[in-house]
Amino acid sequence: MVKKKTGLLSGLIGMSLLLAACGGNEDAATTTPATTDEETKEAGVVNLYTSRHYETDDVLFDQFTEETGIDVNVVKGEADELGERLSREGEATEADLYYTADAGRLHWAKEKGLLQPVESDVLNENIAENYRDTENEWFGLTKRARVIVYAKDRVQPEDLSTYEALAEDQWNKKVLIRSSDNVYNQSLVASFISLNGADAAKEWAQGIAGNMARDPEGGDRDQAKAVVAGIGDVAVMNTYYFGQLLNSEDPEEVKVVEQLGVFFPNQETNGTHVNVSGAGVTKHAKNKENAIALLEFLSSEDAQGQFSEANFEYPVNENVEPAELLASWGEFKEQDLNLSELGKYNADAVKLMNEAGWK
Amino acid sequence: MTVFRSIRRRTNSWSILSILFTLLILSPALSIFVQIFEKPNENWAHIQEFLLKNYIQNTLTIVLFTGIFSILIGVSLAWLVTAYTFPLRRFFKWGLILPLAIPPYIGGYTYHGIVNYTGIVQSTLRNEFGIHANPVFFDILNIPGAIFVFTIFLYPYVYIITRAYLEQQSASLIENARLLGSGPLELFFRVIIPISRTAIIGGASLVILEVLNDYGVVSYFGIQVFTTAIFQAWFGMGDVGTAIKLAGILMSLVFLILFFEKALRGRKQYSYSNAKVRPLEPVSLSRKKTTVLFAYVTVIFMLGFAIPFVQLFQWMLLTYEKVMSPEFTQLIANSVYVSMVSAFIIMAVALVIGNFTRLSDGILSKAISRVTVLGYSIPGAVIAIGVLTFFLWLDRRLNVLYEWLNIDAPIILSLSLIMLIFAYVSRFLAIGFNPVDAGFDKIGRSFTEASRLLGKPLWRTFIQVDLPMIRSAVLGGYTLVFIEVMKELPLTLLLQPFNFYTLSTKAFQYANDEAVHEAALASILIIFISGLSIFMFHAVLEKEKR
Amino acid sequence: MVMQLHDVTFTYRNAKEQTIRRVSMALEKGEIVTILGQSGSGKSTVLRLIAGLEVPEQGEMVIEERTIFDAKTFIQPEKRGVGMVFQDYALFPHMTVAGNIKFGLKKMKRTERDERLASVIELVGLTGFEKRYPHELSGGQQQRVALARAMAPNPSILLFDEPFSNLDADLQVKIRDELRTILKKTGITSIFVTHDQADARAIADRVIVMEKGSIIKTGTPALILS
Repeated sequence: MVKKKTGLLSGLIGMSLLLAACGGNEDAATTTPATTDEETKEAGVVNLYTSRHYETDDVLFDQFTEETGIDVNVVKGEADELGERLSREGEATEADLYYTADAGRLHWAKEKGLLQPVESDVLNENIAENYRDTENEWFGLTKRARVIVYAKDRVQPEDLSTYEALAEDQWNKKVLIRSSDNVYNQSLVASFISLNGADAAKEWAQGIAGNMARDPEGGDRDQAKAVVAGIGDVAVMNTYYFGQLLNSEDPEEVKVVEQLGVFFPNQETNGTHVNVSGAGVTKHAKNKENAIALLEFLSSEDAQGQFSEANFEYPVNENVEPAELLASWGEFKEQDLNLSELGKYNADAVKLMNEAGWK
Repeated sequence: MTVFRSIRRRTNSWSILSILFTLLILSPALSIFVQIFEKPNENWAHIQEFLLKNYIQNTLTIVLFTGIFSILIGVSLAWLVTAYTFPLRRFFKWGLILPLAIPPYIGGYTYHGIVNYTGIVQSTLRNEFGIHANPVFFDILNIPGAIFVFTIFLYPYVYIITRAYLEQQSASLIENARLLGSGPLELFFRVIIPISRTAIIGGASLVILEVLNDYGVVSYFGIQVFTTAIFQAWFGMGDVGTAIKLAGILMSLVFLILFFEKALRGRKQYSYSNAKVRPLEPVSLSRKKTTVLFAYVTVIFMLGFAIPFVQLFQWMLLTYEKVMSPEFTQLIANSVYVSMVSAFIIMAVALVIGNFTRLSDGILSKAISRVTVLGYSIPGAVIAIGVLTFFLWLDRRLNVLYEWLNIDAPIILSLSLIMLIFAYVSRFLAIGFNPVDAGFDKIGRSFTEASRLLGKPLWRTFIQVDLPMIRSAVLGGYTLVFIEVMKELPLTLLLQPFNFYTLSTKAFQYANDEAVHEAALASILIIFISGLSIFMFHAVLEKEKR
Repeated sequence: MVMQLHDVTFTYRNAKEQTIRRVSMALEKGEIVTILGQSGSGKSTVLRLIAGLEVPEQGEMVIEERTIFDAKTFIQPEKRGVGMVFQDYALFPHMTVAGNIKFGLKKMKRTERDERLASVIELVGLTGFEKRYPHELSGGQQQRVALARAMAPNPSILLFDEPFSNLDADLQVKIRDELRTILKKTGITSIFVTHDQADARAIADRVIVMEKGSIIKTGTPALILS
């Protein structure tokens, strides 16, 4: 009997070893980026660090491989961490493309010297100038607006005007917005620093912190639900989250969100805050041509259309119509701002929000 | 003479291996540790002025209450299951460990999904009964909510260790207390908790460490804790230096606390060799009391496992068609594979270090046994940076070799699974080491000495005597590590090779984007596989007892 | 002379005073010696030093004309040819009685090993218990298995650390007498450590009295314990 027990233990150990052995081989095939792999050499590969986790992206990568024969290898992680990894790998990196949400982060990568300029007529033509880096080190690929949503039963659209107005007494204890940890809020504040100056931005942050219906909690979707729940009257959120809620599998979510209206603020003044997710070719890319090819593919009309349809993001390619839902909200005036500014003022924005008591 | 003597005593393959393993595994943690001495910059001052006080306060509140509640729940369940009979007792014995299979951040998302405005609770009240309850009442995205989530998904650490301990206790101790007229409550608080102190502290420290290094739950809940400061410095201010410095401070604090705890407690040597202990037989209670007891156990099980599981299951049904793909077989294989390999390596390392520290009395060996915990005390992402730096350095050193082998890639190791598995080992060594350490503590040294006097050298003694005697501890440790790696997220995200995904990263890809329903399938699979391993461990243990 | 200690000195780690101070002793072949002393006198430490479980600071130790310890030498416990019966017996719980006893018989052929097992098990009067596990035995039986296990490899010297302390009083007397018979029959050299004068008187050819790490008296039981 004792023998059996020890046998079991050693069996377990043996099994692990065995697994380690076979697993090892199998992984060598799947995980080594194929720069050295002879078979795929003709078409080659492109290696990607991305913090976007959408199904749409995977589908588009597959299409790209199908069209060009170039394999797409992906590491999916979190934006800042992947940036850190890229930066530590330095010259040795195998990543060709850094792909992430928020222009602030792209700017950070550029400042850190992680990206390189790309000259491509296709990209220049497909992507409007506002959504590209001034030195073409990164390119926006999808666009989202940070808007105000309101409870249709309690708030008239006429009551709403600007982001600035949300900081006024009228909205005391009625504003819902997530925490200052969130990069979308950081970029929002950074845009105000750029447009209105640091003092005005700080004053605004203080006003918002004072008008919050509750301490910040949850994500953008949670802010929308809290409006319907009556915790507050208005919430600040990104457009695609709203689109996703409206198309949720959970009928209850759809029902709830239908009670909300979307408002694009600052139409009479300096425009609604927009941000992009985008990508840049890494400084030490080993497959630069392929990386550019993938960028060009993603900015094409076809891909842009898919982004918009599946994920409720606005296309950056002006030849592409936004998805029906987005179109139904109408056209709007955007902040006149090169998005690099968001990155430039990110650290200031974080500190300023901390000082303003925005949790 | 003394030098000669200590060299004599300690120089053997065990000590050399132990020191080697420790240095290797802890190099990432140590590289972070030394950075606390770096000069502070202006970000540091900002964090100190605006964030730290409040953050530390929140951290302490969460740690304190999670600690207390986990102990109360974990110990009471361990005691009830050991001492009383009630319906389904055999199931609950292992069923009460199942909450450990649910990663706390997924548990947090799930509970929020249940009670938020569109969740099942409020929408049923609203649609079926027309009750518009005050939503604030259902708000769990706050400190008490986080305490609840941590407690209900982490208490099993206390439960497992305490139950194992109580099962070995002599019945006479308990009977004596009863004869002296202690009521059940008095018995629990005045006898059970004090005698199980060592076990409780062991379990509770794992709970506390997990709370301290968590970022998933607190960031979703919007609670600002010490780890928030680390990530704000890093991501918000782009200042890795300050982030690592903060992590270093956290790590030192944890280390100090554990070191003093161990020093105060001392190392009790006791053995179970031949003292004929009559094991505690569970007794029956009155029908009324049994009902209360059963209700309590059931409620904890429901909250910690059944409710979140059923909710996830329902979400999975909602999104199954959209999410399901053949890719999932690969995900399962990847997850199971890295978990098994890491758990195996960790147990091997834990055994070597555990055996060394037990057999020698030096300061060095005590220190080694304590530092195993370093990797578990700080957020995974920070450890990951340490590991990455270490491997990139290693790759540079090995470049000559690569060139010689005609491989034209500058980095091999840091793009391989080896780096990720190394990181798991470095992080979860404490989880595997604790049971091994406790197991060795329990058997004492005399079996080893007896074996050596019968002519068997250390290695043979280890294989023939020590290892078989602590095999259930080893198996327990293996199971715990397996589950931890299965659930692990931050290391995997940062250190994954190209095209390598696990169930955990898959769940995260959705949950991170607030698509909780879509995350359900991967979550369910994590829970199912972890649950299965808990069950297997339990079955093996029960079979051994017979 | 089977064993000699010369000026052996030892201090436990972190202890302020020496535990063993310049202890010397010599044992004749077949002699049964009892070391008598209060707890803390260092008597058990002497056994551990002989066994090689602790390392002396200085001194010399010789067993059967082989130096097992001096300034240059330290022979590992497993190579000393010393047997020991532990206070708590330390029977391996995952092995049967036969498994425990055969554990130390490594350099023998299978048949030899079985013969040796049979003979020691008969010697201690446990024939028929070979397949039992330690926890299925009484205290007295466990003590006899421990003895058989220690004797099986034919050690030059057998050490007993408070061997009767875990037994009931009447059993203690019985086992004590049996033990002396067995030891005399096999002619094995033994050292007993005990705090009980009655044990010493009943079993020893010679008594060594220790106090505070030093030997203070030595002589026949009749002389010392009068």
